[in-house]
Amino acid sequence: MPKVCEQSTQMSGYILPFFFIIILVVCFFKKVPVYQTFVNGAKNSLQLVVSIFPYVCAIMLAVALFKVSGLSLIFVKLISPVFVFFGIPPEVCELVLLRPFTGSGSFAILNDIFKTYGADSYIARCACTILGSSETIFYVATVYTSQTSVKKLFYAIPVALASSFVGAILSCLLCKIM
Amino acid sequence: MNKIWLFLMCGTCFFLFFKNPDTIFPTMFASATETISLCIELCAVYTIWLGILELIDKSGLALLLAKLLGPLIKKLFKTADAETEKLIAVNISANMLGLGNAATPSGIKAITKLDNKSGVASPGMIMLLVINACSIQLIPSTTIGLRTTAGSNYPADIILPTLISSFIATGTAILLVILCQKFVNRAHK
Repeated sequence: MPKVCEQSTQMSGYILPFFFIIILVVCFFKKVPVYQTFVNGAKNSLQLVVSIFPYVCAIMLAVALFKVSGLSLIFVKLISPVFVFFGIPPEVCELVLLRPFTGSGSFAILNDIFKTYGADSYIARCACTILGSSETIFYVATVYTSQTSVKKLFYAIPVALASSFVGAILSCLLCKIM
Repeated sequence: MNKIWLFLMCGTCFFLFFKNPDTIFPTMFASATETISLCIELCAVYTIWLGILELIDKSGLALLLAKLLGPLIKKLFKTADAETEKLIAVNISANMLGLGNAATPSGIKAITKLDNKSGVASPGMIMLLVINACSIQLIPSTTIGLRTTAGSNYPADIILPTLISSFIATGTAILLVILCQKFVNRAHK
């Protein structure tokens, strides 16, 4: 669902090693015991993953059922008129709506869009911009709050959804003029 | 989260109950299995990033980042703790570079530090959550890569629109959080 192996693309192909080298060089000059420090940080990862596992699992369950039941399609059909009203092309409505729930799902939709409309089409550019400027909100909310005492998030999710929506409208507008 | 989950689970199960009750449990098992493989992958990614984060911290680079972003962080999160500030600085910078997975460990650490154990989300926590939920992207490396694979002639022409729209979306989010907080405060009085 989240972006696990997305980072091996051309741009970050240069950026990441560059940062890594800088970090190591700075460590060298500051006489930081690099090996021990790395291991010290890295040893917490298993614990972290174990502690977020049930939360991730719960949200994955709900999303999988949501998709299998066909309820997601109904949901898309119901809400897309509103989106079209705001200038979002109907072809990307599904993407905008499912993006907060599932990362891998929205990348699958993006691939379909590439195949149907071509990678340089307006629709594809819209879709890319929307994907780039948004996040899997429900996943982020679950994982981030999993280690805290928080039970009530108040307005956090509505605010995140609303501003993603603003981002989506803007994406479509910007792709039209740029 | 409770309400959303209840709504999703109840709605879908109810729906499937009438349409195709056989699929409920296989779907649940399949997605749980998928979660396990996802978590194994995440574990690998987090191991590397947590290691690098520790290096960033110990090398003093995190402090530098915190100093750069410090005024902004102090204003937005109202935290005085230097450690939290450092974590938030690393989290936000990783987000900007499009490294969602590198941002998560520091984000989790930061949000636990902001937690006051009352069970209620503090304004700072909500702010951090919302900023992470609509992160600013300086270079949308993922989508550029996907477009290249799909045979685009100008894969990088989405950089500017993505930058602007993600910037404004995050700005909107910050503004909305501040407004909502004001509203909540007033309601309390």
